[in-house]
Amino acid sequence: MEFNNNLNEINAKIQLLKKTAGELEKLGENFPALGKNIARILASLKMLELNISDVVYLSPDR
Amino acid sequence: MNSDQKYWNPVLETLSRKKLKALQLKKFKRIFQWTYDRSKFHRKLYNKAGITPQDIQSFDDVRQVPIVDKSMMRDIQRKDPFPYGDNLCVSLEEVCEFRQTSGTTGQPIYQADTWQDWEWWAECWSYILWAQGYRPRDRVFIPFGYNVFVAFWAGHYAAEKIGCEVVPGGVLDTQARILKIQELKATALMGTPTYILGMADTAKSKLNIDPSGLGILKITCAGEPGASIPGTKNRLENAWGAKVFDHAGATEVGAWSYECSAQPGGMHVNDAFFLVEIEDTDTGEIIETPGRRGKMIITALDRYAQPCIRFDSKDIIEWDPKECACGRTFRLIRGGVLGRADDITKVKGVLLSPIAIEQVVRSIEGLGDEFEVVVDKVGDIDRITLKIELLPGMEKRRSSIDQMLKDQLRIQTNLGYRLEYHGIGTLPRYNVKGKRFKDLREHS
Repeated sequence: MEFNNNLNEINAKIQLLKKTAGELEKLGENFPALGKNIARILASLKMLELNISDVVYLSPDR
Repeated sequence: MNSDQKYWNPVLETLSRKKLKALQLKKFKRIFQWTYDRSKFHRKLYNKAGITPQDIQSFDDVRQVPIVDKSMMRDIQRKDPFPYGDNLCVSLEEVCEFRQTSGTTGQPIYQADTWQDWEWWAECWSYILWAQGYRPRDRVFIPFGYNVFVAFWAGHYAAEKIGCEVVPGGVLDTQARILKIQELKATALMGTPTYILGMADTAKSKLNIDPSGLGILKITCAGEPGASIPGTKNRLENAWGAKVFDHAGATEVGAWSYECSAQPGGMHVNDAFFLVEIEDTDTGEIIETPGRRGKMIITALDRYAQPCIRFDSKDIIEWDPKECACGRTFRLIRGGVLGRADDITKVKGVLLSPIAIEQVVRSIEGLGDEFEVVVDKVGDIDRITLKIELLPGMEKRRSSIDQMLKDQLRIQTNLGYRLEYHGIGTLPRYNVKGKRFKDLREHS
């Protein structure tokens, strides 16, 4: 499957997005328009992790 | 984006069985740890069984985890944190969606979801809709009374997520919904089989509209097993001139299975997001062999606010050994959901599933869509009465229909029936789920 070859690369970008979103979340404590929109972005990022990252971290031998 | 892509997730849906099992075990450990740390209800249950997160290292360990059923949920709810009680794993501030079960089998269960859980619901439904051929070019009409029941809410959000145009058919009555489908040239529909069949009947009888000419290409059914029952599926597909697909889910579980466009005579379990086990109802043994029916025990592997771990769904299912032509590696359950453990009852010492009767009635030409089964007692003997409607113009064929019905019922259910013919349109009609089985024996 073509996607299996670049899953690591896709995952690296997801983790980068998550890190950035986490940083923005901290800044959004007193800024509802920032905090609440970041909360939604984090939920979407979780869906990316369920779809992609969970497989990347899977040991193929298990 | 390439709309020709066959899979919503080309990686997970074609993952090897070995890797899928590894993924399930990894996720089970994660949700178990999360729940053990946060839910007083679950921790108490697991401590009593002597199981901690460190004990879960294999599927054999998973099988030692106590099963949760709906009655246990009822006991803990309506208490703090109100109204969800001790199994809520997040703060009330994080809960953004309330849903409840229909209460068909007792007091309704309340279900809390965070926005992440709600995204997860839509994600599960995205697998369903994509597999059934929904694409951004579709205009999806949802004839559903948007309310406290989860029903097609998540289907709505998933259709949006996929990029479809969604038309909410909310408070419109059935005739207005049909006219709106016609006006907007909708291409897809979602509903219970009972309601979608009833809509077709209303289109013909009240509006003189042939539903097969409306341009609906696909229909996703849920809430009842009808779309996996060949007789009912044929009637739906013929009435609407559309492909009809089944899907099964539950408020406290999630959207765990779907029929794909290959229509393999069953449904795929979303093995990447759920762990489905089948339990022998007599021995409690977990069934791995295809072809043996049992009760589904299910874990939602990624649902966090109110986790669903080894939940006794009471759905009767069996594994199908065949590989699906669609290429998905997610396992198939043959014939979809075959019944409910609490629906299957003994009549004259024989196990009777109402679904088997539905299949017979709806496979016979000359009979209407509706029927009713009444079980009562005459003296000490069980009696089953099947009420059916004869279509207009079929009087001359009544004796052959009668014989065919008796023969098929005998073959499919091993039981004899008293047949009661009614005029078309005289048996009860249902707007959502049908209640066609009545057991009056306790009151006889």
